[in-house]
Amino acid sequence: MTSPIDARDLPTRRRTGVWVAVVIATVMVAFVAVLATRPSAADRQAESPLLGRPAPALIGTAVDGSKVDVSSLRGKFVLVNFFATWCVPCLQEHPELVRFAQRHQASGDATVVGVVFNDSMSSVRKYVSDKGVIWPVVSDPGGNIAFDYGVRGPPESFLIDRAGNVVSKIIGTVRADALDRLISQAKARGL
Amino acid sequence: MTRLRLSWLGALAVLVVALTIGSHGAGKPETPTRRAMRLAADFRCPTCRDLSAAQSDAETAKTMRARILDLVRQGRTDRAIRAEIVSRYGSDILLKPPASGVAGLVWALPVAAFVVAVAGLGFAFRRWRSRSTRSPTDDDRRLVEAALR
Repeated sequence: MTSPIDARDLPTRRRTGVWVAVVIATVMVAFVAVLATRPSAADRQAESPLLGRPAPALIGTAVDGSKVDVSSLRGKFVLVNFFATWCVPCLQEHPELVRFAQRHQASGDATVVGVVFNDSMSSVRKYVSDKGVIWPVVSDPGGNIAFDYGVRGPPESFLIDRAGNVVSKIIGTVRADALDRLISQAKARGL
Repeated sequence: MTRLRLSWLGALAVLVVALTIGSHGAGKPETPTRRAMRLAADFRCPTCRDLSAAQSDAETAKTMRARILDLVRQGRTDRAIRAEIVSRYGSDILLKPPASGVAGLVWALPVAAFVVAVAGLGFAFRRWRSRSTRSPTDDDRRLVEAALR
């Protein structure tokens, strides 16, 4: 049985309850919509102040002793890949990098440059010979190249267009197909 | 003015002067290394979660400290050095987010939430008070009488 006082309060309480439910439902729907419309983790590109700007200079000595200067690679897309031999995701992405490099080796329209992130050169030399790395791997003893690119931890990759500007930053493992899509998109934009 | 008041005023003056000198390091010029460390304390260590670049021993933090020191020695201002680092890592490398733009929400939202919470509590208290002072109707009295019979 409902008392007269309860009966008087009921409409106000019901209204408040309905409003609270509407607000909670709206927040939840917005949350689900945001998550559903985000790109998948594999294709996600990171924010970076470097995007659209000239790539920081990358001049160094490769593990085989040769000199590397990324600015001499103008005219082709360059994937600058920061990696370390102690980094498990770096090992996981390696076959994808090989696939990407091999796919573009004949046409010569894109290439990979590896940069060692906080690792010993002996480990890197062994890695390069064991894994058959076919691209130059630059040592970065003071971490200055990583600093210039704003790298927080490997693997991180930067796609540089033919004019030498940073097109994309990828945090985490890369996939050859996703990289090709990025290059196609960049070409479609006339980069 | 009495002697007692004068002595209180004198003590207050001494306190103000001491605090002023203490807070400005007695006018001692800041060395480049100290300035670099002070600036490094404003940035996150790139590879750690909760440490500043001044506190961490990670290689990335050491590199950041060395680069800040270079910039200090080049005669750059604090603002220019902060801008240089943010231009590479983005504004989330700052331990204190900027108080403008979208990042400013970090400061604005807690204040807004506090205001809304206080307003909500005030509204609720008012409703409870008005409800408690509500006088019973004839129906209420009849119900109570019936229950007590």
